[in-house]
Amino acid sequence: MSEKNTSLAFDALVVGGGIAGGEAALNLATNGFKVLVVEKDLSVGGKMIHLSKVFPTLDCSACITTPKVSEISRHPLITIFTETEVKGIVKNGENDFDAKVVRKPRYVIAEDCTGCQLCEEACPVNVPDQYQYGLVGRKAAYIPFSIASPRVAAIDIENCTLCGACERACPTKCIDFTQKPVEYSVKVRTVVVATGFNLFDPVNIPRYGFGEYKNVITSMQMERQLAPTRPFHTILRPGDGKMPDKIAYVLCTGSRDASVGNPICSQICCMYSIKQAQLLMGALPMADITIYYINIRSFGKGFEEFYEQAKGMGVNFVKGKIGKITENAKGNLILRYEDINENILKEAEHDMVVLSVGVLPNTESEKLFVDKSLQLDEYNFVKQPEQLVSPAKTSIKGVFVAGTASGPMDIPDSILSAGSASSEAISYLNNK
Amino acid sequence: MNKKLGIYICHCGGNISDYVDVEKVKKAIENEEGVAMAKTTMFACADSNQKEMVEDIKSNGLDGVIVASCSPKLHQITFRAVTERAGLNKYNYVHANIREQASWAHSDDKAGATEKAIHIVKAAIAKVRYAESLEPIKIKSKKAVAVFGAGVAGMKAAIELANMGSEVFLVEREFFVGGRTAQWDSVCTSNQSGGEIVSELYEKIKNHKNIILYTGAEAESYSGSIGDFHLKIRIKPSFVKSEFKKENIEKAISVCPVEVDDEFEFNLKKRKAIYQNKESEFPKRPVIDNINCTRCGECEKVCENIDFSQKEETVDLHVGSILMATGFDPYLPETGEFGFNAIDNVITLSQFQRLVSASNKELIYNGKKIKNIAYIYCVGSRQSEGENKFCSRYCCTTTIHSSIEAKKKFPGIFNFHFTRGIRTYGKQEALYHESSKMGDIYLQSYENDPPVVDIQNGKTIVKINDILTGTKEMMVEADLVVLVTGMTPRAENSIGSLFKLPKGRDKFFNEIHMKLRPVETVIDGITIAGTCQGPKNIAESVNSALSAATKSFSYVSKGELELEPIVAEVDKDTCTWCGICSEACPFDAIKKVDYNGKAVAVINNSNCKGCGMCLPVCPSDSIELIAFSNKEIESMIKLLAKD
Amino acid sequence: MPVSNKKYAKILVFSTEKISDPAIDMAGLLKLHYPPTVYTIPVPCSSGIKPRWILNAFEEGFSGVFIAADGSDCPYGESCTEKTGHIVAKTHELMKEKNIESARLRMAAICSVCSESFVKQMKSFNEYLINNVNN
Repeated sequence: MSEKNTSLAFDALVVGGGIAGGEAALNLATNGFKVLVVEKDLSVGGKMIHLSKVFPTLDCSACITTPKVSEISRHPLITIFTETEVKGIVKNGENDFDAKVVRKPRYVIAEDCTGCQLCEEACPVNVPDQYQYGLVGRKAAYIPFSIASPRVAAIDIENCTLCGACERACPTKCIDFTQKPVEYSVKVRTVVVATGFNLFDPVNIPRYGFGEYKNVITSMQMERQLAPTRPFHTILRPGDGKMPDKIAYVLCTGSRDASVGNPICSQICCMYSIKQAQLLMGALPMADITIYYINIRSFGKGFEEFYEQAKGMGVNFVKGKIGKITENAKGNLILRYEDINENILKEAEHDMVVLSVGVLPNTESEKLFVDKSLQLDEYNFVKQPEQLVSPAKTSIKGVFVAGTASGPMDIPDSILSAGSASSEAISYLNNK
Repeated sequence: MNKKLGIYICHCGGNISDYVDVEKVKKAIENEEGVAMAKTTMFACADSNQKEMVEDIKSNGLDGVIVASCSPKLHQITFRAVTERAGLNKYNYVHANIREQASWAHSDDKAGATEKAIHIVKAAIAKVRYAESLEPIKIKSKKAVAVFGAGVAGMKAAIELANMGSEVFLVEREFFVGGRTAQWDSVCTSNQSGGEIVSELYEKIKNHKNIILYTGAEAESYSGSIGDFHLKIRIKPSFVKSEFKKENIEKAISVCPVEVDDEFEFNLKKRKAIYQNKESEFPKRPVIDNINCTRCGECEKVCENIDFSQKEETVDLHVGSILMATGFDPYLPETGEFGFNAIDNVITLSQFQRLVSASNKELIYNGKKIKNIAYIYCVGSRQSEGENKFCSRYCCTTTIHSSIEAKKKFPGIFNFHFTRGIRTYGKQEALYHESSKMGDIYLQSYENDPPVVDIQNGKTIVKINDILTGTKEMMVEADLVVLVTGMTPRAENSIGSLFKLPKGRDKFFNEIHMKLRPVETVIDGITIAGTCQGPKNIAESVNSALSAATKSFSYVSKGELELEPIVAEVDKDTCTWCGICSEACPFDAIKKVDYNGKAVAVINNSNCKGCGMCLPVCPSDSIELIAFSNKEIESMIKLLAKD
Repeated sequence: MPVSNKKYAKILVFSTEKISDPAIDMAGLLKLHYPPTVYTIPVPCSSGIKPRWILNAFEEGFSGVFIAADGSDCPYGESCTEKTGHIVAKTHELMKEKNIESARLRMAAICSVCSESFVKQMKSFNEYLINNVNN
């Protein structure tokens, strides 16, 4: 192996390898620009690659994400650094940025790993699998998930006991505990910020009992249970492994709620909940699904029709705000809510509750630039000073924002926003 | 067909060889006809093996190569590159998948897995025998894009395309640019008015050396395909000389006897047959509306700048791509729908916005000062009965924004919102919050129980069974009823028909795939942007416009397009042109041509995507897909079927 | 599954390069087993499969032919499902003429991660062919 050259130069730096960052990178590369994609996770694909099916077409998310991901990883003008974080970008002048990025060790020589999973079999350490949102376990030597890109093993050094079992099992001898973080100095001419969003953590609403009642799960955990690469081969409630037959959705968990610091609407939860409800009706034909909502916001192309379809399939929609959730001896959950249509307080028993958690800003984007020169808006999303006419422009000329880094949006809107960012970036690069 | 073949069978470090007896596979195939060499290798994809392959191909003069290893999705590209490095055309490489589809799939049955692997490699041998050297299809692509529609989406797309380096022809059907945005005064989440936005964009267009703007212009015909579209554009005369004196025009307008509804004002006002741009429209010039002008000649008598001798002009454009940004029409309620056209103080949201914009100090409609305003939402959207099942997306936010503006501009106004559930998605929620804090009243009903607009004792009453208060009947005496009308596809859609653009269930233009190819249409080289594809607000329209611009630019940026050579081929001798293949082709790639005095089908390689849909429908079996020909497929079947 | 000498029927699968073939690959990746006498020929799109290829497979000795169709995921457009349906219908007619039982040709949409469903389809098709078709 030759010495790694830690000084690099690209036309564009794309921060974030989710669907928005990937799309922006692909657009830039297709038009002849050299792109570096920096992704902090072990795989590109962002949140989308973990979803089950996507609304309103119900095509499977992986089917859409994986071809894009492989197109990105194969493009000769795109370089991807996974497990890499941006440590600070400085703008020296127009078309002149210096970025420091640090690539963390994977403890696996990625080029040599064939993804055979023998290390996984050999590893004796079991920890919760973050890619299955804690529903099942994984090993400390592991392939992040079956459709990861790169589909290459990594060692979770924090949980690794250094027993050496993986090293012995590996047929290509690609496990390397001597790897150190590598810092790269990257010269680029433009930056696309595609740092995505965080999901609301419902432990912040103690009255819903998440973390305390096992059968209260998040929508992302349900998403995993419904995905083709799901952890179980059916839908189970975590408390006792029973198949649920009365499932409740609590919309606006952490959205439109000033008391948890997020007054705005997350834009996607209504639709993904309706989608999950439709998928559940398919997976568990006998189950009752109830969606508790404030307003149903099915505003996009084909969304209203999708909502009507769910109603037609028999999903119950109850206009009501959930006050409190309690658990009974059977592990079932009692939802206290205000039924708005009837203007009275009611209670309902469900055997599983899915909290439709909202979209929060990824505040990491503020730290990308030294001196915090990348401004955020009042909700801590990347500020769009020309929101109407140039939505991709940020407070720094030559830096563009793509996808949910600037606010909640669904997948089609993220992709269009990435198209917008790459278009502005290409114009900027061409008008040096 | 006597190819010299080289075959590599990969152990994949045990992933294959633990279940498949690779040596047995090698023995089973090394004596097949044409096999010059067969090897097993620990890791076929390893750098050392790749180098060895290059050497083998060169020294043995191989003209067909097979690697039996993992899925072609992983390494077909790798090994095609290897054959290219050895000087062999990459289409002489065939990949055999004996990992995902043999060793791993049948890890429970080693003998079965080995048998299957042997068959797979033999089938690959059959295929590689017929493989041909192919070159990518290269077509020239004119570095120019035609943009149809000069609203905010079309103008933004034109500017970015020009900035990226393309020549741009911006074609607007109306005499003025600005589209719907020009009709909006105050727009939410911006301090700029619609007019200011249009003015700023127009300045950029006017001054950009790469953009040519045609107004009053429509596409008449088109021919060609991606990279090479030829368009004929028809430009209407304005019947006013390009040099004109303002006072002359004013005189002409005052004497014109023809008064028609002013569409810009959504018929709230009248205009003459000769009229000028509004302040928010550009270019600044007077025009004569040829449809309504009676040629009475009054204007000519007072104005020397009139010129009725002007003729329609046509221009030929040659472009590599076309971007459609033709916008929407606001829904027009039917007579009697919530009292529209029946009760005189019922107007549409579009009219209301013009009214607020045009009024000062006091809000007066039909001579009456307005105090109570009732907004009825989802008129023409989310219809349970009518055609428009879809939500128009922008109207909740726009209405709330307009109602706040009205309240600020005209103190003393009370706003009553008769909703179907407010949809101020995302950050727009803040506006809903602001409105509620200002004391606006929100009521809600379901689609099966809409509000009713009625006259009682000469007063306009809006009634609703309000579900927010336990389905109580509520009543508001309204001085003005605003029907929150949604977006509908353009009623006049001749341009869509001309280009044969497909429409979705909602009748807006349809993209190929909402997520994978959101701005592309099935007509290669034509992209769609803004509200012609579905309801959007300004920012969303701009995002889609810029995405479409990037896509269109990628078709033309290099002046040349490289297309996959896997296309369909017609056997002209056996084809008797029935046209069925042409109907089956989703990409308009099959045309009728004359061949030795008979009509036959021919494939346009620049449109053909290699899907093969034309193959099975041909009654004379005259079409083959390159690399998937009858002889290739059937020789594979033969080998796979053997015991 | 019955353990006998002939427990597997020969099945030819027409898969599609971008959609169903990846699902079949993933079935292998996940070590979901199915009869090793299932062979695939990937084509660009399921609506481009010629009936004569299917008939040819029967003539050459395959017990069953399975079309792993693109369904609504087809990258070449929505008409794929309908067109693939037509191919099956037309082939069924031709099979009838040749006295080949129509149940020996099956089709299902297999999305690019529908590995489980593919395996299920293969097992049940195999079972059907073993029990109902003279191999």
